[in-house]
Amino acid sequence: MNNIVLSVKDLNVWYNDFQAVKGISIDYPEKSISAIIGPSGCGKSTFLRCLNRIHEEVPGARAEGEILLKGRNILGSKIDPVQVRRSIGMVFQKPNPFPSMSILENVTLGVRLLGVRDKSKLMQVAEQCLRKAALWDEVKDKLSQLGTSLSGGQQQRLCIARALAIDPPVLLMDEPTSALDPIASLKIENLMSDLKKDYTVIVVTHNMQQAARVADYTSFFVLGELIEHGACSDIFTNPKEQKTEDYITGKFG
Amino acid sequence: MYLKYRKLKNLIFHFSLYLCAALVLIPLVLIIFFVFKMGATSINLDFFTSLPKPVGEDGGGMKHAILGTLYMVSIASVISIPLGLLCGVYLSEFGKGKVATLLRLTIDMLTGVPSIVIGIFAYITIVVPLKSFSAMAGGVALSIIILPIVCRSTEEILKLVPGHIREAGLALGLPRWRVIFNIVVKGNLSSLTTGVMLAISRAAGETAPLLFTAFGNMYLSYEIDEPMASLPVQIYNYAISPFDDWQRQAWAGSLVLIVLVLGINIFARTLISLKHIKFRYRG
Ligand SMILES: Nc1ncnc2c1ncn2[C@@H]1O[C@H](COP(=O)(O)OP(=O)(O)O)[C@@H](O)[C@H]1O
Ligand SMILES: [Mg+2]
Repeated sequence: MNNIVLSVKDLNVWYNDFQAVKGISIDYPEKSISAIIGPSGCGKSTFLRCLNRIHEEVPGARAEGEILLKGRNILGSKIDPVQVRRSIGMVFQKPNPFPSMSILENVTLGVRLLGVRDKSKLMQVAEQCLRKAALWDEVKDKLSQLGTSLSGGQQQRLCIARALAIDPPVLLMDEPTSALDPIASLKIENLMSDLKKDYTVIVVTHNMQQAARVADYTSFFVLGELIEHGACSDIFTNPKEQKTEDYITGKFG
Repeated sequence: MYLKYRKLKNLIFHFSLYLCAALVLIPLVLIIFFVFKMGATSINLDFFTSLPKPVGEDGGGMKHAILGTLYMVSIASVISIPLGLLCGVYLSEFGKGKVATLLRLTIDMLTGVPSIVIGIFAYITIVVPLKSFSAMAGGVALSIIILPIVCRSTEEILKLVPGHIREAGLALGLPRWRVIFNIVVKGNLSSLTTGVMLAISRAAGETAPLLFTAFGNMYLSYEIDEPMASLPVQIYNYAISPFDDWQRQAWAGSLVLIVLVLGINIFARTLISLKHIKFRYRG
């Protein structure tokens, strides 16, 4: 197996008294795509949001356990979540470009606020990231238009470019295509496969075909528990657990 | 048959809605009409550039009052706009605890305080101790009018920014203050400006808080610790005077004031509707 970039050990998450994630442990190898599938409400988003500590934004949410990023526990009390998020980017379910910012400003905001002021350097980052997000050709002539003026699928790719701009080794995606039409979804799927060359991608999806198409590994959650985790080729053709088989054959979910 | 009935109903409802809209517009149109009719004939360049003449002499203008209003509204703005914006940002971004609830309550009550009472408050706290009517006292009184409006409009505007926009900023590894100022506040500058300008236009037209704070005078003064004229008070004093020429000037002053206030309002509202700064979130 490759190097492990991110290693989750016995993660438990509560919303006040309600436990949404129960003792989940998963290792994520470098430069791979891992999918998380499971019925809605099973804790996929909750799990993913702990990985960059954005779960702390929800009042009453509390995570216990260890999440090791290159060996360091990012849940540790001495670790600054701001630093964690520079290494672990995130793309949300709903495309959310920043309002009243141009396409260019959306992509470069992260690096600009980290101190890069040089115009040509910013332009270079923007082009590079928009290319990686397979959006450059569509927007190169209208970089100063509002990010929100793009179509839903383009907005989502803009959000991917924006996340890539600070160059995080790990990229989290929470159902990135569920708000998009099939063609726009397909574009994002293709894009994910390209991203694998440089990034470790963890993607939540409600769409099993999508997981089977793009991911190397898949985890199956039910009611906050990890039922099965393994290579996609095993999970989808030869699941070990009855529940997994029932879910992927559509008997339950 | 049925369709015809429905179309008729539709027509009746449409008509009543237009009627209501028209009824609402009538007072505004009448006010503007009369102020223009009475004021337009008395307005001339002199009105803007010269000071009042002694009683009995015709002519003269309200230069001192126009400048006084601008001066005191500026004092009020300098005091209350930064404070109101900061309070509004606090209430919208951190406003969950007891302190915030108390602040919100205070601000709401402040909005409801009659402006004459605000004038009396400034009189007791500033004019009496300093033993003099002053532009400062007038500015402070106006700032108390502006503060709650700016604060609440800021809070309401920023609350409209969906939480996932903030999360997107945080997920980029930006500290919270960066997210608040560079994304939430900057992304809504035009709406915030609108709120501020509406508050300013409100203050520019107030008479009551200035009556016994800035008091008014008949000459040009830029001294912050001396009485200062303002358009509303000057209009009030001229309007109740027995002299025809002063009454004409009161109409002219009203015209200037209404153009000023409407102008600020219209400018503020067009700012909101400008295409490139509108709120737009797609699906
Ligand atoms: N902010 C919240 N407060 C309380 N409970 C929540 C909150 N968000 C999610 N939950 C609960 O946690 C469980 C897991 O939710 P979530 O992680 O969003 O599931 P998924 O993404 O798999 O659909 C659900 O039962 C949900 O009701
Ligand atoms: Mg979810």
